[in-house]
Amino acid sequence: MTDSPAGVIHDIGYRKYDGPRLGRGRVTRALYAHSLRGAYGLGRSARAKVLPMLLLGVMCIPAFVIAVIANVASGVTTELVLPYSRYVVVTQGILTIFVAAQAPASLSRDLRFKTVPLYFSRPLERSDYVLAKFGALTTALFLLIAAPLLIMYIGALLAELPAGRETGDLLLALLGAVIFSAVFAGVGLVIASLTARRGFGVAAIITVFALSFAAVSALQGIIRYEVDDPTLAGWLGLLSPITLADGFQTWVLDASSSAVAPPPGATGGVVFVLVTFAVIGACWALLNLRYRKVAVS
Amino acid sequence: MPVIQTEELTKRFPSTTALDQLTIEVEPGVVGLVGANGAGKSTLIKILLGLSSATSGRASVFGLDVTAEGPRIRERVGYMPEHDCLPADVSATEFVVHMARMSGLPADAARERTADTLRHVGLYEERYRPIGGYSTGMKQRVKLAQALVHDPEIVMLDEPTNGLDPVGRDEMLALIRRIWSEFGITVLVTSHLLGELERISDHVVVIDGGRLLRSSSTSEFTRTSQTLAVEVSAEADAVGEALAAAGLTVKREGRLLVLPLDDDEVYDLVRDAVAAQGVGLIRLEQGRHHISEIFGEDQGGAAR
Amino acid sequence: MNATVVRLTYRALLGGRRAWLLLLMSVLLLAMAVLLRVTVGVDHQVTADFLGAVAVAALVPLFGLIVGTGVIGPEIDDGSIVYLLSKPISRPRIILSKFAVAAVGTVLFAAVPTFVAGLVMSGTAGRIALGFGAAALVASVAYSAIFLLLSVVTRHAVVYGLAYALIWEGLLGSFVPGARTLSVQQWSLSLTEAISTRDLVSSDVRLAVAGVLLAVVIVGATWYAGQRLRVLSLAGEE
Repeated sequence: MTDSPAGVIHDIGYRKYDGPRLGRGRVTRALYAHSLRGAYGLGRSARAKVLPMLLLGVMCIPAFVIAVIANVASGVTTELVLPYSRYVVVTQGILTIFVAAQAPASLSRDLRFKTVPLYFSRPLERSDYVLAKFGALTTALFLLIAAPLLIMYIGALLAELPAGRETGDLLLALLGAVIFSAVFAGVGLVIASLTARRGFGVAAIITVFALSFAAVSALQGIIRYEVDDPTLAGWLGLLSPITLADGFQTWVLDASSSAVAPPPGATGGVVFVLVTFAVIGACWALLNLRYRKVAVS
Repeated sequence: MPVIQTEELTKRFPSTTALDQLTIEVEPGVVGLVGANGAGKSTLIKILLGLSSATSGRASVFGLDVTAEGPRIRERVGYMPEHDCLPADVSATEFVVHMARMSGLPADAARERTADTLRHVGLYEERYRPIGGYSTGMKQRVKLAQALVHDPEIVMLDEPTNGLDPVGRDEMLALIRRIWSEFGITVLVTSHLLGELERISDHVVVIDGGRLLRSSSTSEFTRTSQTLAVEVSAEADAVGEALAAAGLTVKREGRLLVLPLDDDEVYDLVRDAVAAQGVGLIRLEQGRHHISEIFGEDQGGAAR
Repeated sequence: MNATVVRLTYRALLGGRRAWLLLLMSVLLLAMAVLLRVTVGVDHQVTADFLGAVAVAALVPLFGLIVGTGVIGPEIDDGSIVYLLSKPISRPRIILSKFAVAAVGTVLFAAVPTFVAGLVMSGTAGRIALGFGAAALVASVAYSAIFLLLSVVTRHAVVYGLAYALIWEGLLGSFVPGARTLSVQQWSLSLTEAISTRDLVSSDVRLAVAGVLLAVVIVGATWYAGQRLRVLSLAGEE
């Protein structure tokens, strides 16, 4: 390229930039928006959109069905077939796949291609990066849960179910959705940040979520019904992210429990709440710790 | 006013000492940081950027302390790392726009400046293709673009000519020189190739094993030495003896006869001696210093 | 089979975080078995439920996924498979070697702990432990083959594999009766039904049919993977 149009470059010349330079806050928000869009494949290749959109679709289908049933059978039923707050637990498989696919997509790319030092040589602190990524995935999951809930809500309103009650239930369920999203996103991101290989990250996240849920449910079932010890069964719910968040929801928001055994009593409820926040906090701390080491490669 | 200043900067790892009591001052311009692989060049840059922290000592950029005012420094600095750091599945434009926004540029300004910067580094239609398919030269340009896009006051380029073929290397060096001469941005560039830094730097800092060997302007390094090198087609010994007989101290360096150049008379003496012997005069050259001599002189690694 | 490929593969598999994850999960399985034995005592229905729901339905497929994709996925991903492909070893041979490592690995990490868990919970009564161990064994081999094939065919093998394991075998299997005849889990459970003397496990598929289908899947997947490796192209990302 020795014949590169040097004339063109000289003509236009280099322009200094005198415009605004946004501070950390705005930059973090820009990264947040970028990561959130990336979680749904927007701004990436067409193939990257397939899975998240597919999952969103599958997530909403049962909600459609429920809404339709509510309208069709409005003479017979006085409430939705499935309560709002139970929807997320029933569809947890989809949530798990979403986290497993998108948490690594968000973090592993920067780790694998070693782009991280480029971020930290800019006015972006490590905690900003973590905040942006954590926030983005939490929001993405929240949207995934909220969309079908809204569909059900609209269906309920159209079926002329009591608006006040439905709105109240919806809001509580959305609150629970925030907790679910934060717990899922946190655990998923911590696992994803440990490996630069996206494929392994996906498998590891799925294993942790699915296996813990399968194991905890099975154990809870056995211990509750065959040993008849609902208290112990309830405590076991702490051991899997899904049952943990569900326990929080059950106790704090007075939702109907989807787990085999709900948190045992008031003490159980409080412990579930504390552990939930502790888990979210621990994930935050671990991510910050991880990125402290990473940038210095 | 010095752009970069370090004072007794030390960085120790469990197995090695990367930087050892390094004290330097860098003025605006193109500064070459020279040293063998592992001499501590990348470590210095990382400390200046806040990517790594020093074991002891102080460093400041634009008069701001690197540990206390890191974010403010990083607003005005561009960094081009030595290692591969580009994601393979996005295009150059997308990537540089994103990096511009991460530097604090608003979205529109980011897009505008990305287009400009990519043109300045010489990426045209390729910029819309995914980076994964680029050649090494193109990738280095993208790396440089993301360092320049936010109009920094200083850019730190770590081994920018790595992996480039000779033509690519020349182009990159010319580009780097332009960054200072046309864009007015101070450049700190590292290399383990001494020759190329001689060509483009105003000031050279030489480090070895984490210690400062020498820091001075390029012209000082490569000033013409007061010697004359003579190469003849044959009978070099006889010519040498003739010149010695005329009163000059002659040194043999292989095929060259090296004479001290005290005054213009020496040229006449050489002409006469060569003509008397009836041989051909191949070369008559004023000697110049090279940066590589530094490493020969100070094998003990004493800081100056 | 090629001994060098086998050696390189199993060292890569065991050399990192993958191995720790697998070990952790196996240990947890055993810990749960012990917990149940202590709290519930010896109850064969419990054993069957637990091993069926946790070991065969969750642990084995996931391990098959992790190991089956792990023996070749990373190499294709970062392109280092070219070193192997440029050697004078036939592609089917490479696949066979990797399949051997995957199958043995999954069996070791998933099937053996399942068998031991069964022993812990029910002893040797009714050959329950043996039945589930055998089921886990064949399922391990089958899943290894399937996910190895998936890894050669697509770079998103893990996601598709998960979709298969969770959605097909899990969700669909519960709702759509027909799907159960095509489920690796059901095939392996028919083995349990045949081996164990107690009437604790029932499978929708007859043993003979299951055996044939298992054999077809294992051999077919491995053969096809070898064929696909022949035409493997290392494209860019995504």
